[in-house]
Amino acid sequence: MIFELDNVELYFKTKRILNGIYLKAETGKVTAILGSNGCGKCCLLNIAFGNLKPKYMLVRLDGKPLLKPLYTTGIVMYLPQYNFIPNDIKLSFVFKLYAINWNLFTKGFETFSIYKNSKFSDLSGGERRIVETYIILKTKSKIVFLDEPFSHLSPQHIDTIKQLIEEEKKEKVIIISDHMYQHIIESSDTIYLLKNGTT
Amino acid sequence: MYRFLAILTFYRSFVVWSFIVNAIIGFFNPVIVPALVTKLFLTVFAWYYVSETRNQRKLTFYKNLGISSLELFSVVYVIDCILTIIFITIFKEFT
Repeated sequence: MIFELDNVELYFKTKRILNGIYLKAETGKVTAILGSNGCGKCCLLNIAFGNLKPKYMLVRLDGKPLLKPLYTTGIVMYLPQYNFIPNDIKLSFVFKLYAINWNLFTKGFETFSIYKNSKFSDLSGGERRIVETYIILKTKSKIVFLDEPFSHLSPQHIDTIKQLIEEEKKEKVIIISDHMYQHIIESSDTIYLLKNGTT
Repeated sequence: MYRFLAILTFYRSFVVWSFIVNAIIGFFNPVIVPALVTKLFLTVFAWYYVSETRNQRKLTFYKNLGISSLELFSVVYVIDCILTIIFITIFKEFT
């Protein structure tokens, strides 16, 4: 699959945030977005997912324009910077909702086996990030957006997540954005630099 | 099925408020149609509140499941209507 985001123009009141953005990502490659704080990386992923409505934009999937928000197609997963899983839900239920095998997860992350019936709020910040990143990467989808997936993670877990990205990119379009430039450069195949609101 | 369970999870945070409103409606005017109109107004308000504040972050969980805000709040409204009708019918029987 080829995902294209074209002609993005975003304003907050009269301030222009993004202008003339073009982004292309395809299955089998990890596409990264790099840029300084506040340059609009997060907004760009939100626009692509359908969370944020800009003044102009066009999404194309395999060259065909998509006129509704991308998330309504059910083929996309988005890991935002914030914790997106509600605090009062049990982990086992979240895994069922997203159709992910809990046992496979605990094989890779043994320390989590005690949390099967725990609520999401019982986990530490880093543990929550691991669970969310794993769910986003492993859920059956065609496109994955990862906004700062390496934040709050220990070096050991960063390596595991990088390995997961490497495995999943064979079947998915992966677009990633993070401040940890070293990790981004290592895990990505294509890099877009976002500066002055444009790529 | 799991999509419906996810929507029920979302409704869970509103269920106590819904029953408080049901109780108020029950005491003052236990008629189904005005009760459903009131609930529609409150659902639209809840939708606006969630969409226009930081609470909109909560919607990402459901959007990742392919559930749009319209679908989410529509189903919540239908569930709430069913519970409201049951509540008012039972309430009328005892008053």
